[in-house]
Amino acid sequence: MAELSDIANEFIRQEIKEFLERPEEIARNIELFARIRPAMQDIAAALIEGEDGDVDQLTKQALEEGIDALEIMDDGLIAGMGIVGIKFREALIFVPEVLACARAMKAGMNYIEPILSDSGVEPVAKVLMGTVKGDLHDIGKNLCIMMLRGSGFEVVDLGVDTSEDEFIDAIEEHRAGILGMSALLTTTMPNMAKTIEALIDADVRDDVMIMVGGAPVTQEFADDMGADGYGKDALSCVSLAKKLAGEKV
Amino acid sequence: MDLISSHPGNYIAIGENIHTTRVLLRKGKRIAGEDGAEVILYQAADGSARQLPIPDSYKSTQDYDEGRVKHVKIALAAAMRGAGAEAENGLDYLRALAHHQERAGATFLDINVDEFSLKTDEQKAAMQWLVGAVQNMSELPVSVDSSDVEVIRAGLEAYQSVNARPMLNSASLERPDALDLALAHNAEVVVTAAGEKGMPSGTAERVANASRMIDAALEKGLQLGDIHVDPLVFPISVDKDFGLHCLDAIRELRAKYGSEIHLTGGMSNVSFGIPGRRIVNDTFVILAVAAGADGGIIDPVLSSPSEIFAMDRESLGYRLAEDMLLGKDEHCKKYIRAWRKGEMKAGAAR
Repeated sequence: MAELSDIANEFIRQEIKEFLERPEEIARNIELFARIRPAMQDIAAALIEGEDGDVDQLTKQALEEGIDALEIMDDGLIAGMGIVGIKFREALIFVPEVLACARAMKAGMNYIEPILSDSGVEPVAKVLMGTVKGDLHDIGKNLCIMMLRGSGFEVVDLGVDTSEDEFIDAIEEHRAGILGMSALLTTTMPNMAKTIEALIDADVRDDVMIMVGGAPVTQEFADDMGADGYGKDALSCVSLAKKLAGEKV
Repeated sequence: MDLISSHPGNYIAIGENIHTTRVLLRKGKRIAGEDGAEVILYQAADGSARQLPIPDSYKSTQDYDEGRVKHVKIALAAAMRGAGAEAENGLDYLRALAHHQERAGATFLDINVDEFSLKTDEQKAAMQWLVGAVQNMSELPVSVDSSDVEVIRAGLEAYQSVNARPMLNSASLERPDALDLALAHNAEVVVTAAGEKGMPSGTAERVANASRMIDAALEKGLQLGDIHVDPLVFPISVDKDFGLHCLDAIRELRAKYGSEIHLTGGMSNVSFGIPGRRIVNDTFVILAVAAGADGGIIDPVLSSPSEIFAMDRESLGYRLAEDMLLGKDEHCKKYIRAWRKGEMKAGAAR
């Protein structure tokens, strides 16, 4: 069992002490950060603070020192984002701060992505994202896309007012594992169910895992329409996508 | 220009409190009682303290599980479908919503039942019923608000235009046929800057989309004074320039169309995703009026126009909110830092 004092970075120790409340999350994060090397803790700390310049600098430096790109992604960037997600869930930080963290994540991923793809490491998964037919709202969907890209997903943005045929064509063209649909209006939410029916008719439903979200959507509606998952905000969208990517493999 | 800051009574407040989307937090001050037997506390129109029970059927919803109580939806369901005392209680709750907004200076009572049901027929029935009920409670004209033109039509058909004309909220390039509906029912109309194929991305697109709608409305015979333009307010939490996109569009539309047209907008959208929303909303109302707006879709009970325009503009809270809304505070950093330290409260002094 690792102790809080086993973590070298004071900022990380402070974050765990101050913001984490659930015992299993405290234990998991102490275990995680006690294991990873101080340089990765520094990257995680800079990401948690939303300092994209620092993350850029520290990632570059770590790569120059010969640290593996995968280690930087997992132990630096993703470990830091884990803390960010918990703080957002508990309403301890707010949307602009999460966006700053996502930009910091992106700053690091700018170095990591090309290395991983050169060495044949695939992105976590490919995700298609679109707002359903009749609905022009895209702020929430775009937040999800930013967070997904920051977390190592490849995302194809289908935009707003996406028809059933456009979803079907995109599934066939991009061979993505996950399809995300968004709706902000109660009047357009039924179009999610209609889209799923159209995917079944076109015989492409089983090619993708389907996740849905947006203000009026609930787990209940998601289950009713036959989606594979529901995310209530941009960060749950990321954890859901990771879960669905795992199931797809 | 600014006949509103000095005379808040001229502000066209479209009161947004009779919306089935409105939420109270279960752990908040307005909910009392043990888990499983909670009530919604409210002040009735006559000022007495009353309670609206949360029905058992609501307790199996995800909203309830996640700590949210859709109080207007609960009251509407009780008033429409309940028996005896339950219906009376729901009606009393709705009456209080209308009354408090009227007292706070609302010009229109905006009614939205989009989250009452997923079925269009049930939304239409609820809208028809609610328009009639609200007209029995208040002299104020009703603003019929839905994302579905058919639901708007049902509301306008139920409206009795004896005292005042209704408002239609809203028409846009994606549904221009709503303009004909406004004409047919002699309604004033909110036109938004939404495009046929998506939301506008900056000032120019807002002005272009809104202009096309205004020109179409004028051509059909509506007057400038019948039109309330909503340039669309986006959250400042997402992009520091979103406030300016809207404010600059208001400035340009006022310059282009003169003094008769009304300029409005859903002011509280601006503060989505950040804490201490009230002062941010109020500051945005002030900035919008300074840019040329003469109204807004607001919660007048939370902040009445007279309270908003009496805000101390030298306070730290106002200045930080203003800087943030004018694009001078990247990631809302300074504002959120001050909020965490409790410094924003100074700005709320009235």
